[in-house]
Amino acid sequence: MKDEDIKLAVKNGYARIARKSDLCCSSSGCCGTAAPIKISKKIGYSDQEMMSVPSEANLGLGCGNPTALASLQEGEVVLDLGSGAGFDCFLAARRVGNSGRVIGVDMTPEMIEKARRNSSRAGFANVEFRLGELESLPLEDGEVDVIISNCVINLVPDKEQVFREAFRVLKPGGRIMVSDIVLLAPLPDFIRDSVDGYVGCVSGAVMKDQYLEAIRSAGFQYVQIVDESAFPLDCLANESAGQQVMGKSKIPARKLKEVEASISSLKVSAFKPA
Amino acid sequence: MKRDLLDILACPLCKGDLTLEVFEENEKEILTGKLTCPACKETYPIEEGIPNMLPPDLRE
Repeated sequence: MKDEDIKLAVKNGYARIARKSDLCCSSSGCCGTAAPIKISKKIGYSDQEMMSVPSEANLGLGCGNPTALASLQEGEVVLDLGSGAGFDCFLAARRVGNSGRVIGVDMTPEMIEKARRNSSRAGFANVEFRLGELESLPLEDGEVDVIISNCVINLVPDKEQVFREAFRVLKPGGRIMVSDIVLLAPLPDFIRDSVDGYVGCVSGAVMKDQYLEAIRSAGFQYVQIVDESAFPLDCLANESAGQQVMGKSKIPARKLKEVEASISSLKVSAFKPA
Repeated sequence: MKRDLLDILACPLCKGDLTLEVFEENEKEILTGKLTCPACKETYPIEEGIPNMLPPDLRE
């Protein structure tokens, strides 16, 4: 698959999810379905956190980044790479307060619209969203204190470029705290070549060492694995938004189980030298 | 988009400073407008309060 084709597939895939969750909430009355909440609890968000932001912002996607959110200080400028419907941005906004600022960047217009609606409904004054590409961030050099990203960088074909851009926009001494999917063993071809698998955060994942090396070679120091756990593939394959992605997939459930062992959910932190 | 955000926005292509043209604004933010990069001549629309900073080939 060419990089451009992958990008388009990812963009369209997540646009579908954004639209589908709209429909769900407006017509069928299934809003407040347990699935995204259940997934979010499983990946480490507290009840209190989930109650504090608009529930529509939580699509039950991602592998969770609660540690990064917990580290945020009052007044910090936070950038969320791949902000989706805004869940992590809103949690971050509560942490940094009115003297801080949160910027969410996402390349899917449907997600940005959703995030903006959620933001104005909940009255957040310190969160802004923009359409943008992670490989070419629309921000000046050295303006951001903390970069967070929750299970998104795996979707980008050129991961090295994402980390180079992250490094560029961070202030000296700034930190990046990302949560993502990495591989412990190469995936079988039938998944690696699957567009659905790519959109579902699996086929685009790279080997763990390669991922960490991409962070280091961008210039980051103190690259540290904060947490590492088995990726709850059932979240992706069986529930809510994950199902919308994987639902049309031709990959049989039994084979998916086989590769579960080679997929890991990683939380990494690193610093730009001061 | 809030006005003070312009301070940290940059052209995604050349990272140059952007100039702002406002078509519609309320008390909180700019709703419709245009950001222009004088260096590479690229323009980025602001629609419904959201700046579209995608490189031109990724826009719809």
